[in-house]
Amino acid sequence: MTTSAIELQPKARAPLATLLLALLTGLALVCLASLLLGAGEVGPAEAWAAIRGDGTADARFVVESLRLPRTLIGVAVGAALGLAGALIQAVARNPLAEPGLLGVSAGSALAVAVALVLGADAATLRVSVAQIGALAGCLFVLAVARVNGVGNDPVRLVLAGAILSGLLGALTSMILLIDQRSADDIRFWIVGSLAGRRLDDLGAILPSLVVALALVIAVARPLAALALGERVAVGLGHRPRWTRLLTVVAAALLVGAATAVAGPIAFVGLVVPFAARALAGPDVRRTLWLSLILGPILVLAADIVSRRLVAPSEMPLGVVTALIGAPVLVAVVRAHRMPAL
Amino acid sequence: MTSRSLSCASAPPPSVGAATTMTTSTVSMTASPCDSPSPAARPPAGTWQLTWRVRDRRGSVLFDRRGTAANLGLVVALALAAIASLCAGSLPLSPLAALQGLAGLGDPMNVFVVRELRLSRLIAGLATGAAFALAGCLMQTLARNRLATPGIIGIDNGATAFAVASVLGVGVGLAPPPMALAGAVTATVITFALASDIGTRGYRFLVAGIGVGAIFGALTQLLLARVAIDAANAAYPWTVGSLNARDGASLVWLEIGLALGLVAALWLKRDLACLRFADSVATGLGVRVKRSRYAALGVSIALTGLAVAVAGPVGMVALIGPEIARQLSSSRGVPLVGAALAGALVMVSADLVGRLLVAPIEVPVGIVTAIVGAPFLLWILLRPAARFRH
Repeated sequence: MTTSAIELQPKARAPLATLLLALLTGLALVCLASLLLGAGEVGPAEAWAAIRGDGTADARFVVESLRLPRTLIGVAVGAALGLAGALIQAVARNPLAEPGLLGVSAGSALAVAVALVLGADAATLRVSVAQIGALAGCLFVLAVARVNGVGNDPVRLVLAGAILSGLLGALTSMILLIDQRSADDIRFWIVGSLAGRRLDDLGAILPSLVVALALVIAVARPLAALALGERVAVGLGHRPRWTRLLTVVAAALLVGAATAVAGPIAFVGLVVPFAARALAGPDVRRTLWLSLILGPILVLAADIVSRRLVAPSEMPLGVVTALIGAPVLVAVVRAHRMPAL
Repeated sequence: MTSRSLSCASAPPPSVGAATTMTTSTVSMTASPCDSPSPAARPPAGTWQLTWRVRDRRGSVLFDRRGTAANLGLVVALALAAIASLCAGSLPLSPLAALQGLAGLGDPMNVFVVRELRLSRLIAGLATGAAFALAGCLMQTLARNRLATPGIIGIDNGATAFAVASVLGVGVGLAPPPMALAGAVTATVITFALASDIGTRGYRFLVAGIGVGAIFGALTQLLLARVAIDAANAAYPWTVGSLNARDGASLVWLEIGLALGLVAALWLKRDLACLRFADSVATGLGVRVKRSRYAALGVSIALTGLAVAVAGPVGMVALIGPEIARQLSSSRGVPLVGAALAGALVMVSADLVGRLLVAPIEVPVGIVTAIVGAPFLLWILLRPAARFRH
């Protein structure tokens, strides 16, 4: 490959503010679409009337009590998963690292299943348990990345993650087979969906999302330095070990919260940072902020598709994200030169 | 390798006691190495030579001693597992009663339970296990990668999606086996086209396969979401892998396919042994690399598709079976028969465990093999770089 001087110069990027503004507009439009479109009988015109304050009682009920919480939860889940994907990719320095693919979401789901079997109440414990499971999954992934140079080979790490996901998923299925009561409790949660969630669920995860966001703000600069190499980061006055730990904790909080509400959803954390890098370049700080907005856009769009595709029934959100995400995975793997992180 | 072949020349003449018992009217057996044209043609150490002469044409076959012993051991273990599988269940039988029932003797109730209920399940387990493991062994050999099994590169999921479509009556109204075959071929073509090489030593190929598998898995879910709940429940076993879902017609397809596949695989055995080396070496040894690879790939896809049509995606067997066979037999060739036997053993044992573990609830065999197989797979992926075994 011949590299000319021109190619070596950084491409001109749109300023971050412009990008953010454009994406926020997009997010607003998707939110509106999420309120207007549904699997049920309330059509866009009726829903629009309900949003403006009139319209039938049915339409208002559907929009206010069903679609509004669903949209808000979609925004929270999307932001959490997108941000977590960007964080894990940055800390593993691997463009394929993704909470769903690496088994972090599956760890969270297994933790919830185990807690339910042990007699925990479904409503109260779920968030913290899911976060502990996610943390265990994250730590496992990082441990694997240190074995035999797996960390230098993005593709091998993903393989290990896929295997771990399969194992944890099988264990979860087995627990649910054995304990029918828990299975009934979480049957609609385990497939990954935004349907039928209440605003209370959002309230339960909001504190940990705020904590995680604060952590992200704290680690953004050290992470960017870490991308230049461990020695450079130390030279710039950062503590790589500490940075990694905080990043992993933030990612676990985010994935655990998202999984607790919506169930395990794969591929969002892969697609979102991928798109963010395409828009804003490799700087991890820009990637993080763009992921925060791109995540909700992706999740809400996928959710709308999942409502409309097989209307009047619905299908799991995870199916739609897999259909969107798997081609991206293949594209990243196929890329002649994998983007280095 | 060189040191081994040098030591063979001075090895004692092989015992061919086993061969002398086999006699037929047209084949006259000679059981001594002095029949060989020159001392240099002595069989290598660790093998039995079986020579015969039909009119004026001479022929001989080498049996690897360790491999043969391993296969015999696997057959014994398989027989024990099969008897256990016939005995266990909600009506426990003694081994003797089970065998009597199998022969059609004794208590009519036992005969009914064994021959009508348990036997077909056992046969399904044996056939699917052997087919999955043989397919896995072929795929691993042609890709020169122990992780490259049909389950990992998405072929299982492709076959499952098509089989589910057939059960649900979506699209073409074909029976599950041809649909599963079509799905397996589709997934393979997509994966290989995307990976743009046959995956020798590359992990990239595997991740492309994981992506393709994820798409087909999502399509299966999409199909299940579109139909009524009863139809979805009927198709559900395919998505996790269970021997409960088998139907007789698919099993016949699989049995025929397995018989043909075994013959084809054994016919390819010599080529496969050479394919383990670099392409240039294999070519130099007189193997038509591309042709053998496509042939092995075809057999592998067909076996996987037919097995999925019976039992759903139990992809881990394709990994565990060949691995057991490889540990047991010598490193000289590709242990195709051993892999098939070990696969059948794994499948029957996993099904037995799944039935007994939390009886009366039945854990699908796909879940049992996933839990057993995944740590194993991780170990293969993460262990220190493999050295050549001497």
